[in-house]
Amino acid sequence: MTRDAVVPVLRSGVLAQEFCRSVARANVEAVFERCFYLRGGDEFICVGGADIGDGPLTLIGNLGRLSDFQLQPGWPAAVCERHIVIGKSMRLTLDETESWHSPAWPICLSPAGLTDTCAALARRAAFEAPEEGLARHGVGVPETSGHHPPLARIARPRIAVFERWLSGVLDAGHARLQDSKEAAEALIGLGPGLTPSGDDFLVGALALLDAIGERHAHAALARAITDALPGLTAPLSACLLRAAAAGQVGEALHRAVSSVITGDVDAAAAAAGQIGHSSGWDMMAGVMTALGIAVAARLETPPTAAQALALS
Amino acid sequence: MSVILNEVRRATYLDSIVLMRISRQIAALPGIEEAGLIIGTPANKEILRDAGILGPEGATAEPGDLILALRASDARAGQAALAAATQLLDQPSALGTTAAVESSRTIRAAVQRLPAANLALISVPGDFAVAEARKAMEFGLHVMIFSDNVPIEDEAALKREARERRLFVMGPDCGTAIVAGGPLGFANVVPRGDIGIIGASGTGIQEVSCLIARAGRGISHAIGTGGRDLKAEVGAVTTLMAIDALEADDRTKHVVLISKPPAASVARSVLDRVAKSSKPFTICFLGATDFALPANARSAATLKAAADSVLGASAASPVKPPVRRLDGGRLVRGLFAGGTLCSEAQIVFRQAGLPVMSNVPVPGASAMAGVHDGHVMIDLGDDEFTRGRPHPMFEPGVRDAPLAEALADPSVGLVLLDVVLGYGGHLDPAGHLAAFLAGRERRAVIVASVTGTDADPQPRDAQVRTLVEAGVVVADSNAGAAEAAIAALGVS
Repeated sequence: MTRDAVVPVLRSGVLAQEFCRSVARANVEAVFERCFYLRGGDEFICVGGADIGDGPLTLIGNLGRLSDFQLQPGWPAAVCERHIVIGKSMRLTLDETESWHSPAWPICLSPAGLTDTCAALARRAAFEAPEEGLARHGVGVPETSGHHPPLARIARPRIAVFERWLSGVLDAGHARLQDSKEAAEALIGLGPGLTPSGDDFLVGALALLDAIGERHAHAALARAITDALPGLTAPLSACLLRAAAAGQVGEALHRAVSSVITGDVDAAAAAAGQIGHSSGWDMMAGVMTALGIAVAARLETPPTAAQALALS
Repeated sequence: MSVILNEVRRATYLDSIVLMRISRQIAALPGIEEAGLIIGTPANKEILRDAGILGPEGATAEPGDLILALRASDARAGQAALAAATQLLDQPSALGTTAAVESSRTIRAAVQRLPAANLALISVPGDFAVAEARKAMEFGLHVMIFSDNVPIEDEAALKREARERRLFVMGPDCGTAIVAGGPLGFANVVPRGDIGIIGASGTGIQEVSCLIARAGRGISHAIGTGGRDLKAEVGAVTTLMAIDALEADDRTKHVVLISKPPAASVARSVLDRVAKSSKPFTICFLGATDFALPANARSAATLKAAADSVLGASAASPVKPPVRRLDGGRLVRGLFAGGTLCSEAQIVFRQAGLPVMSNVPVPGASAMAGVHDGHVMIDLGDDEFTRGRPHPMFEPGVRDAPLAEALADPSVGLVLLDVVLGYGGHLDPAGHLAAFLAGRERRAVIVASVTGTDADPQPRDAQVRTLVEAGVVVADSNAGAAEAAIAALGVS
């Protein structure tokens, strides 16, 4: 067992920095093979090596083999801006930590180009996405095998509610709070996994709306999610959803969405496959759904000045 | 009577992949009809409620909790599954998740990871199977296509392209193959030997290879062609290539060809190629014996006859299993997981001069009507039963409702079943059947065959023992089970 090992943190996401500033006492909440989570109140941060990728809630350090620390859920952690001390096992130092921000979104393709990308992604999802999630059966290419998993059966009408809501927001330029809440509530906490598929879907949709400059729709969805969250999903997943609602997403999802809006389907699919077991493709289900509706809306109406900037 | 059991674990965090694996493992345990392992959000509780497996305890779960919910055939099976789940949740590393099986999401990545591979197994929705197969062929890979719903014109074009590249396309809808001793898809553990099989039918290959293995012989290769290879549109491209390959294979001394009766023109070209071979052939065009065969070929109407032919003796015990004469209901109801086994049972009935109906009728049998007023053989793996549901080969519960219906029908005196073992199949199909039958009132005699070997992941001898203890009469072959049913009817 490694006792009181000092581990310099190399990079810290912006929300992880905020966590260290505002939380004094935390606990080890979950320990996985490559990373672990600390929880302080309703907030979480993830600590791991560089291979887990940067993110807004992530601290990256040279941990080596995590199992050497023998971390256990429930262990206390003392937190301040300079360091985090976890039991008698680990001292994470933050003195020379670089701040990580997700880069700016690239300029996206024309609506016609995005239409082709959408179609290509849907085809990829139909056979690359994991069986358990939403991307293969919940959205995109109609199912031909006659096989409809229970999640897809329940999710499809809920995704349809979300689609109608988003379409309405993009057409009318405003959203009724109650409609927004219903669209978000239908999906929050839905499905298997540590972060339910419905949560991942919404994270993907938020990222896409942000990336293509649909700020009004993004703000409406973000507010609806934040209002609806309490009690609807697991605390860890709720924390990730709040981050996405604040415009903060991880490195891999940023790469996936950037690839989508620049038409690089191979890179988008590869990035999606790197996020969790089914989370990446569940996020991509949200990306594809939101993108399809946004493109349809833009093809029907001339872009606003703000949208034109994102479309140029 | 089914029971619903729930267990809630407070504030439990496990990797999604671990949750999925535990969930699948629990669902595959004997007597488990449905199982789910998800966090206790309101939306997920609705999924469990919709599936009919949310109990009072699960309903109390909070979003940070983990719910294990299951429906079992009885309390004992349910408690055993809960105990197994507890063990897995306490020690998830026992699942080997830290050394997860390496997987690739594209053929290109798979080839980079395993450059010596020479075959790709394609199992994607039918709309995409041909495109994936072409990608594989561009990397010089032979292809086995498990997917169905591929248009026949696409199959024909793909196979012609493959032939030009000197590559095999096994399938589409190819469920079974054994290449150089390596089982692919639904295949059994059989010894290597000198008998080659070319089959347009997965369960047909399984039944014949297992009968041969149980007689002490072995298989050189079993090449699946897909069910439509001998149709005129496809022209037996893969079958002809397979004959060439087995002709060139020194290990192969005898070839068995299994298919539904082909188009006359295709049969001619296949038999012309067989005539040029230096090796003996057994041709099993199921139910058809009126083809003019070359001197080096013998005909077999059933799978068992094909195995007998190649072995030069009876593949299975010639002694019919003891089945009492039917004294109540006089009708036979066959409920099959294997489509070809269903066909074979019909053929045996037709050979005995008995009328028979089926949802997949062979020549001479009638299409099944709504009212079952005769001997009926049902292929439960056919699309009408598997749309939106798993195939009975890996989910034996699909047979429960039709079996309950047959056992409740006073006109049914005997129920014929097949139990198919091997890779890809359910881990304990006999155990499921025994649990279903336990304590259930039944007038009908149940006769089953068990396709498999003692070396299978579900050892055949243990599966047979389970069935016998459950009061099921077990025949040595599928055809033997049908013959036993006919004997019970008093037909000689």
